[in-house]
Amino acid sequence: MPTGGRLRIVGGAVHDPANNIDGEIRDVCIEDGRIVASLPGGAPTLNANGMIVMPGGVDIHAHFASSSCNHARRLLPEEHTADPVPAPKLLDGAGRSGTGGTVPTTFSTAYRYAGLGYTTAFDAAVAPIMARHTHAELDDTPILDAGCFVLLGNDEYLHRQISRGERERAAHYVAWMLAATGAYAVKIVNPGGIEAWKSGQRNLTDIDQALAGTNVTPRAILETLTNAANGLRLPHPVHIHCNNLGQAGNSATTIATMEALTGRRAHFTHLQFHCYGGEAGKGWSSAAKSVIEHVNAHPEHTVDVGQVMFGPATTLTADGPVEYLLYSTSGRKWVNIDVELETGCGIVPYSYKEKAAVATLQWAVGLELFLLARDPWRVVLSTDHPNGGSFLSYPALIQLLMTRGARDEQLQRANPKLLAGSALTDGLDREYTLNEIAIVTRAGPARILGLRQKGHLGVGADADITIYGRDTDIAKMFSSPRFVLKAGQLVVEEGQLRRAPQGRRLHVRPPYDESILRDVRKHFDDYGTVAFDNYAVRDVPGTPAALQS
Amino acid sequence: MTEGTVSHAVCLGCGCACDDIEVTVRNGRITGAINACPIGVEWYGDGTVPGKIMVRGAQATMEKATRAVAELLRAGPALIYLAPDVTTETQRAAIELADRCGARLDSVTSDTAAPGILVGQRRGRATATLGEIRNRADLLVFWAVDPATRYPRLLARYAVDPSGTQVPKGASDRRVVAVDVGGATGPRTASTRIALSNANEAAALGVMRAAVLGRELPGLSSELQAAVDLARQMTKARYVALIHDSELEGQGGDSQRLEGLVGLAQTLNGPTRCALSSLRAGGNRSGADAAMVWQTGFPFAVDFAAGAPRYRPEQPASRAIDGVGGALIVGAAHRAPEVVTRALSGKRIAVIGPRATQVADAEVAVDTGIAGIHDAGIGYRMDDVPLPLPSILAGPASAADVIRTVATAVATGAKS
Repeated sequence: MPTGGRLRIVGGAVHDPANNIDGEIRDVCIEDGRIVASLPGGAPTLNANGMIVMPGGVDIHAHFASSSCNHARRLLPEEHTADPVPAPKLLDGAGRSGTGGTVPTTFSTAYRYAGLGYTTAFDAAVAPIMARHTHAELDDTPILDAGCFVLLGNDEYLHRQISRGERERAAHYVAWMLAATGAYAVKIVNPGGIEAWKSGQRNLTDIDQALAGTNVTPRAILETLTNAANGLRLPHPVHIHCNNLGQAGNSATTIATMEALTGRRAHFTHLQFHCYGGEAGKGWSSAAKSVIEHVNAHPEHTVDVGQVMFGPATTLTADGPVEYLLYSTSGRKWVNIDVELETGCGIVPYSYKEKAAVATLQWAVGLELFLLARDPWRVVLSTDHPNGGSFLSYPALIQLLMTRGARDEQLQRANPKLLAGSALTDGLDREYTLNEIAIVTRAGPARILGLRQKGHLGVGADADITIYGRDTDIAKMFSSPRFVLKAGQLVVEEGQLRRAPQGRRLHVRPPYDESILRDVRKHFDDYGTVAFDNYAVRDVPGTPAALQS
Repeated sequence: MTEGTVSHAVCLGCGCACDDIEVTVRNGRITGAINACPIGVEWYGDGTVPGKIMVRGAQATMEKATRAVAELLRAGPALIYLAPDVTTETQRAAIELADRCGARLDSVTSDTAAPGILVGQRRGRATATLGEIRNRADLLVFWAVDPATRYPRLLARYAVDPSGTQVPKGASDRRVVAVDVGGATGPRTASTRIALSNANEAAALGVMRAAVLGRELPGLSSELQAAVDLARQMTKARYVALIHDSELEGQGGDSQRLEGLVGLAQTLNGPTRCALSSLRAGGNRSGADAAMVWQTGFPFAVDFAAGAPRYRPEQPASRAIDGVGGALIVGAAHRAPEVVTRALSGKRIAVIGPRATQVADAEVAVDTGIAGIHDAGIGYRMDDVPLPLPSILAGPASAADVIRTVATAVATGAKS
């Protein structure tokens, strides 16, 4: 490590789209973990001649530190047995062993993310009552600056407030919940549908369908939480997994959801799983074009793709009814956990096979979304790890985006049965540039997450930097960066993990009216099994992130 | 604390982890534990624990003891065993120590609840947190378990009596069925009961599953017919809780029962909703499973000898001792299963945990506090809900701190 926390990276081609730098050869100066304008002449240097310099990767949506993930890990001894991960040889000798597979252990997760050049990641689905568990896992997930999104779309107390018409008050509840769980953003999964699954109604399939015996609809939940997140000026807007995930014909629901939130800042996640045409029981088709055109026309909306990659995956979601369906149609092993008063959890190990028509359609839909998106700043690269595939497949996905030949080659091996009407087969020539890759993997997600000091290399930014050795094999280049710096520290040197410092915890603590807590406490007393006084996570490390101005 | 009251303390006497205990302290001793059941009252005791450090029968300093433990771990293949009554912070530190020493790592689970976990790893499981059962279950089927003895507050706190969002009248909105298997009987207060012989249990679970799937089942014996009738009642309920004890020491290894229960609960989620609730005993056992899973990928029986975790479920601590030179027990050794303590007798043993110095023949013993009484941290309920454990009394050294000191001694190669 350079002395005085100073380092000058010299000679690299810098891709820093947030600062309009597109491959320019220039120095990047670091002091005390941040980017600075200049350094004294004798500052230590890192030679990046012939290399590509980007901000560290930012994963906006993955599942890697939650009670649900741990249930998935527990379910997969065969994967872990097949992928033992010895401790890396860190300079301080403090590396930890672990196991990999689609849901790696915590230390292995961190090391593998860093090995890809990713330095920030969010777990996208944490049940509030399990938040304490998530923070314990994050304590054992070094390097990454990390946070979590808290599941509120099926929260029974929130539903009660909606049914009473107390939506304003709900915003205070949301703020309290974010503080109590140490979360960074609000997550909605299948609004109302999980409660329907738990109550015997099985699911909600339309955003205006009410939960039995109530006036609570997905639309009301979406509006309430979107307004709450925006009203609280959260750095990241509400993060939405729409109703009807994975169903033929679900694009209508997706567009209806987007229309319901027109004019309001909102993020729609793993959009690929929500862009199918056709009709349940009568076949599938791609509806990617109609959905992405809607996104293109609405600058207030952002998405991540949730690309499916051929190979092993583990489907893992709060969307219990979807996992039941997958279990009953695939016959694979299945975990379901109903989580009191809040949400659910379903897990089914899976594999996307190129000879399978539906898997090929899903693969194609994701690529269509990427290739038809007009504004890369609003379309983030994700596989919904581990649902569409491991985050380790990001380099292969980048190759597909940058090389039409790679797509065509894959298409020839895949099952084209359901691809009629897919824009991919009509010849989408677009090939992402390095700057566009930098946008969809770091600059864009950082901006969407409201992380002002990440995703760019301007003065004051966190010195989270990835340096790739140039290679014509794109997947190889992105899978093994030569150097990775985290807060100015070299964590990867010459492709080897050398340091694993503790990362920062990213969370928010918006203000709220404490008078609402009397009623919340009564709800806990009446129906909870954890005392109100024991519920909140204490001592979440780090300073809460700033709210939007 | 030497005087006062702690509200909402979490009791680790059994896996219910009741968090409504009001503990009173006078003159540095626990004098009351309001709301605690008899198991809880016994678990809290008066809160006093020894605070000694012993090496080979003589009082020693912490430095000498931790160096002696490090030597024991370095001497050859060692077992690090997670016993009850330590926080998850301590469990994490112990797992790290095992990783660094290339040790065998195991917990109470391998000789108690392991068979159910292995079935879950083959098939998955349909379950719920206890609060879902409280709020939704209108039919509770207790399979060969009466919680009254081992989980005294389960019925009052979670499973039958309390009102819930979908069962506003509490017990009167629910039906309770006892399935008595051989001599293992369900709750005495059940409104309906059926009796199965041990020999017929697996067959009964099979025909019940078939009945849920809508199959015709002619010519059944009266015993199996009763099971089928119960299955049909279950399909008509709104939310079924199927409750069994997952860790009857020495009896919990009936994998046919476990396969049958897991399969039945999963199948019931076709026509209705069902959660299989697997009862676990106390001392933060679920926390040991959780931390082992997130750090190693496996819930128990891990071998680090090859430099990365390997799963050895076929070799639980009670049978894996051959070839292991010594063992470090982390936690309350007196609450570990007898099969394990028997298997360890005659080995070199170090104990870091509550009442460690009361363990006969321990080469090294460091008394620590008890999780939730002296040591603050995280403890898990039997359904994997994590709870904050308070420190009610000042105690001897924190187990997590002692383990970290041992890890430093191992890393630096310090000798006693």
